[in-house]
Amino acid sequence: MITLKEAMSKSKEELAEIRDELFKKAKESGLNAYIGFETHGEGVPILIKDNIQVHGWSITGGSNILQGYIAPYNATVIENMLKNGFAPAGRANMDEFAMGSTTETSFYGPTLNPHDTSRVPGGSSGGSAAAVAGGEAIAALGSDTGGSIRQPAAYCGVVGFKPTYGRVSRFGLAAYASSLDQIGPITQNVEDAAILYDAIKGHDSKDSTSYEFENEPIYGNIDADRKLTIAVIDNYIEVASEDVKKAHDEAIKALEEAGHTIIHKNMSNTKYDIATYYIVATAEAATNLARYDGVRYGRRCENPKNLEDLYFRSRSEGFGEEVKRRILLGNFVLSSGYYDAYYLKAQKVRHLIRDEFKKIFAEADLILSPVAPSVAPKLGELQDPLEMYKSDMYTIAINLAGLPAISLPINKNSDGMPVGLQLIADAFEEKKLFDGASSLERAVAYSK
Amino acid sequence: MHIDEEILKKLEKLSHLRIDESKKEEVIGQLSEILEYVENLKELDTEHLDSFFSTLPGNTPVREDIPSNDPSIPKEILENAPQSEDDFFIVPAIIE
Repeated sequence: MITLKEAMSKSKEELAEIRDELFKKAKESGLNAYIGFETHGEGVPILIKDNIQVHGWSITGGSNILQGYIAPYNATVIENMLKNGFAPAGRANMDEFAMGSTTETSFYGPTLNPHDTSRVPGGSSGGSAAAVAGGEAIAALGSDTGGSIRQPAAYCGVVGFKPTYGRVSRFGLAAYASSLDQIGPITQNVEDAAILYDAIKGHDSKDSTSYEFENEPIYGNIDADRKLTIAVIDNYIEVASEDVKKAHDEAIKALEEAGHTIIHKNMSNTKYDIATYYIVATAEAATNLARYDGVRYGRRCENPKNLEDLYFRSRSEGFGEEVKRRILLGNFVLSSGYYDAYYLKAQKVRHLIRDEFKKIFAEADLILSPVAPSVAPKLGELQDPLEMYKSDMYTIAINLAGLPAISLPINKNSDGMPVGLQLIADAFEEKKLFDGASSLERAVAYSK
Repeated sequence: MHIDEEILKKLEKLSHLRIDESKKEEVIGQLSEILEYVENLKELDTEHLDSFFSTLPGNTPVREDIPSNDPSIPKEILENAPQSEDDFFIVPAIIE
């Protein structure tokens, strides 16, 4: 499989041929990573998660309720990609409305992990990660609300990058939890992630949470020889699986040999992050998903008796169980009598979470952390919702604090399943993050 | 927090969702378990903290209120809506 960097030197004709080959492979593989084979414009083909608007495509957020919806405009990231020589090619499977950690909540059925098809690829950007890992896409876009880029990347042995909140426009991203969502790249290596990130980032007047900054490219300026101070979180590692512990030890050794300084820290119990996340995210989701009412977009129930029946049946038939659960929870934490104790309390805790990171970044350039407690689980293994939520323990604090983080493969366990770790930087320190990630990538020399 | 049938009924109404009778018990169990878990936040002292939180430095930027519109977008939305006519979405009669 050619890399994104290599693909950029190909002619239009060669790229069209490559795209056709990727589509053919995806149709034959049975991974169910693609749920559509639409194209738009010419350029290096990039697989697009099914929640990012591409004009004229049926963008459905992996949901029944959006069947029949056609995107009336391009998301800003798509406009930016087109300007930089990249062309959207195919829709990637995902958990319904990005709510899930396995891609099993998709209306289109689960995506399979290319390393072991009895296992999930992770989620919610599972289609994007499985396609890149399976050689069915050169690179892909995903979205990360609580780990949805980094965790599937780790489960599939590829690179996934979640930018600082505000770096990449959310205009045209189907909103799940607006204060946490960020679009980012899933690629074969760190350099490719920088290339695609450079292409999509930038201030956008259409997104009121878009940050104005000097748009310096990362690609071409990465310094893998830069010596950094990297913090490891001892109490995070204590509760991880043996596979993750082994990868973590290996990464520390490689980083030390590469001349970086390792310091040891502890952070608050991740149970507080999980609690905060599942209050804030469900509250925002309940509000954002109120727009799907069967009137304006997508699918409407058949023969509604009256308007109320139209709303209730379109939504009850259109949403899957996990989405319904989160809407119910969100409306609970926002409802009169519970709002202060749940929603406002969680908003306050976000200050504590961010302050804790700030304290570590006063001493360290980057943090090295697990992405998930174990390798990719088997299909159907995570049935209990709360158990699934707990598996997000290492990724959600980053979203709650708005920080950038990159997940990259370190090694494989004895079953041949990839183990990834993430590097985390302070807000807007993407350059430093890519310097460190490049160094770690070179030092561990992961082989597919 | 234990969710009972009464609260679930209220949440269904707020959410415009109906939970199948056969699923209600399971949903009540799951919601109660999740809420009991998230109540661990009570262990944290947040007395002095602001309930406003933003990850962005500074305030939300303001801009001049200049109207802009791409007329093709509403047209395409209406064309692809479940039911529409002229510039309107069609819904069942509201006033009998």
